[in-house]
Amino acid sequence: MKELTISSDAPGERLFVLGNEAIARGAIEAGVQVAAAYPGTPSSEILETLAGVAKELDMYVEWSTNEKVAFEVALAASICGVRAMVSMKHVGVNVAHDPLMTASYIGAKGGLVLVSADDPWAWSSQNEQDNRYIAEQGHIPILEPSSVQEAKDMMADAFKLSEEFSHLFMLRSVTRIGHARGDLVLGEISKERRKGYFKKDRPWLVYTPAGARRNKPLMIERFEAIKKAANTLPYNQLRLAERAKLGIIACGLSYSYALEAVKWLGIEDQVSILKIGTPHPLPEKLVMSLLNSVGEILVVEELEPFVELHVKAIAGEANIPVKIHGKDLLPIIGELSTRAVTEAIAKLTNTKPPVDFTQLDNLEQEVAPLLPWRPPALCPGCPHRASFHAITMAARRVARDYGKEVEPIYPSDIGCYTLGVNPPLEAVDTCICMGGSFGIANGLAHVVDAPIVAHLGDSTFFHAGIPPLINAVYNKANITMVVLDNSATAMTGFQPHPGTGYTATGDETVQLKPEDIARACGVKFVEVVDPFDIKKATEKIEKAIRFDGPAVIVSRRLCTMIEQREKRKRKEEVVLYSIDQDKCNIKCDACVKLLGCPAIIKQDAKTVIDSSLCTGCGVCAQICPYKAITQEQR
Amino acid sequence: MVKEFNILITGVGGQGVILMSELLGKSAVEERLRVRGSEILGMAVRGGSVTSAIRLGDEVYGPLIPMGKCDALVGMEPSEALRNITYLSKSSLVIVNMAITLPFTISIGKSKYPSLEEILEKLDNASGRVIKLDATQIAQQAGSLLATNIVMLGALFGIGKLPISIETIKETIRARFPAKTAPVNIKAFDLGYQACQQALK
Repeated sequence: MKELTISSDAPGERLFVLGNEAIARGAIEAGVQVAAAYPGTPSSEILETLAGVAKELDMYVEWSTNEKVAFEVALAASICGVRAMVSMKHVGVNVAHDPLMTASYIGAKGGLVLVSADDPWAWSSQNEQDNRYIAEQGHIPILEPSSVQEAKDMMADAFKLSEEFSHLFMLRSVTRIGHARGDLVLGEISKERRKGYFKKDRPWLVYTPAGARRNKPLMIERFEAIKKAANTLPYNQLRLAERAKLGIIACGLSYSYALEAVKWLGIEDQVSILKIGTPHPLPEKLVMSLLNSVGEILVVEELEPFVELHVKAIAGEANIPVKIHGKDLLPIIGELSTRAVTEAIAKLTNTKPPVDFTQLDNLEQEVAPLLPWRPPALCPGCPHRASFHAITMAARRVARDYGKEVEPIYPSDIGCYTLGVNPPLEAVDTCICMGGSFGIANGLAHVVDAPIVAHLGDSTFFHAGIPPLINAVYNKANITMVVLDNSATAMTGFQPHPGTGYTATGDETVQLKPEDIARACGVKFVEVVDPFDIKKATEKIEKAIRFDGPAVIVSRRLCTMIEQREKRKRKEEVVLYSIDQDKCNIKCDACVKLLGCPAIIKQDAKTVIDSSLCTGCGVCAQICPYKAITQEQR
Repeated sequence: MVKEFNILITGVGGQGVILMSELLGKSAVEERLRVRGSEILGMAVRGGSVTSAIRLGDEVYGPLIPMGKCDALVGMEPSEALRNITYLSKSSLVIVNMAITLPFTISIGKSKYPSLEEILEKLDNASGRVIKLDATQIAQQAGSLLATNIVMLGALFGIGKLPISIETIKETIRARFPAKTAPVNIKAFDLGYQACQQALK
């Protein structure tokens, strides 16, 4: 028997999947023909899954240079009548915001779905913005799943709905959907493949002021039709309990917490529950039915009071005297939990919580001081660690010439290298958004007097680093811009990008080089260094910082994770390093204090290298003042 | 009716925590159970704390285990087991691998590691029973240090409470590993299973 996979056309069969695989499966079942994305946690596995089956299923799948381009690729396909999707993390939608706000005027011909993967508690993000507001701003309907299964079902349906209403839809996922796991019942895979056709239709597609004024009323009309339909979509469900005084309105994933909480409290017969799968537009009739049947309402939703405010508006408009709770009892920050929802419901129903949460909170506080601090660290052998060492050595040397008190400034960016913020490297002073390192450096150059060394990764450079690079040249910002080129989008799982020479589906393509781009943009100082050659790298970086005008350093070394993997494939022996205890000055600690490599540890009052972690990069050997670190004999 | 059974696996990046939950989830689906789960990874880079929840049964809801509702806590590392103590109740079982993994923050003097006695005492007070295993050593005995997670998986089955059969999980393990390393992993599973049963006697 052939093993079941994510692309098996086996309706009714069950698979154990990651939520993001379920979302990809929904698109596969809908017969999506074009999918584009830029990697970002917690969304990356959606496109990775599709890329893996693209050829087999005759789909076009690409990693785009950024979310804006990805969105435009999908929009174009939709305009030509082909089913298309685009997926990105919540902050990625900010990058795609520009075309998105006009795309809703266009609507959709081929089903068009944007997956926004929000990240409450910012597990791997710079903020926890709630993208339901972005959808609302653009009159874009939202489907919000409560489980892995529903994520698949909604995604498959979203394309049909998009075509039925000629409008684009947003599937709003969150970390606990995309990165949740669960059993998934498969549906049928559509085999339909359409030929794209671009029909010239300037009144529809040319957004001059007249175009905007012509198309906005049509968009509003489409949205009103969806609003009516929301009352009968299967994702919104009202369950009225006869004796209920409390009504719960639970949106998306929060529905699973609410259900569990009610069951845990043993009060299923005392509360009515309205499950919301379309927070925008809300199923107003269902909301009204609930408002009219209970005395009190609790709105359960993660992050902002989006549904809560709309429900309050509905109640106010209809003059329904019902008390509506939400963010007064549930946090506006972070993820919800069964615990938080249980406590809120217990309070409103005067029920005793099933567990003494206060006791557990006390236990947590009691244990907290005992726990070792275990932050994620740059991997042993990570080239970024060497780059940071070289950058900070060079920059401090130059800073001395500026004055005693002057410290270099290191604007950084989004990627593995943000971990350089931790001691002992401390080479990250700002991290705001993709490409923000170079942008912030531009501004700093005109207001502070200090060496400014900005850095970002290769994938980030192609994503959003080029316009601020050009800006630095154009506006004569005296900054050093370092591209930490590890030839990978490492943070999100090694997805290919324009610098890697191959595409999402593994085809070879032109390999772009950041140094060529920098030179073409008019940067007069451009050097490529190997971060594992610490001395040379430091010298060249120092020269770059001293250069009058914008300078670019490309610090190039393959990501150690990939390097190790490839060495294993080639069966290449890795020669490790060890510390000669006779030469080591135990009081020195230079290797420990300068690098913070997880492989260099203190053991029985000695500094030793953990051979299970060492990758043989040799950076520590170069900085040891006693030459005590040497390669082990083969 | 299979009652909800909540498993929390906790450890350090690189210890194979996620693989354990994948093996459990796949096996549960084989047995027609409902499964929900999720991971807490922080930034998904080596060395950070990793926690993975797997919830099995005929009726399961959220992807995470509520505080105080964990049936079995599998600690791949002692301090990481302690970090998740609030999920325990007096009816929970804890299986902990006694091999310590020190974070680099200790080498650079930014943090301290608690004593094993203190960790075990706290876990003991918070749970029904703590089973201590030297899983790393058992894995070595089975033929590979990399199989430490499978030793712990075997131990989890050794408590005899999982709604998944031994045959099913072993079949999943065999299918997951290449023919060359599967026997080592099966041996690791068996040794872990036996060690747990021994400890329970």
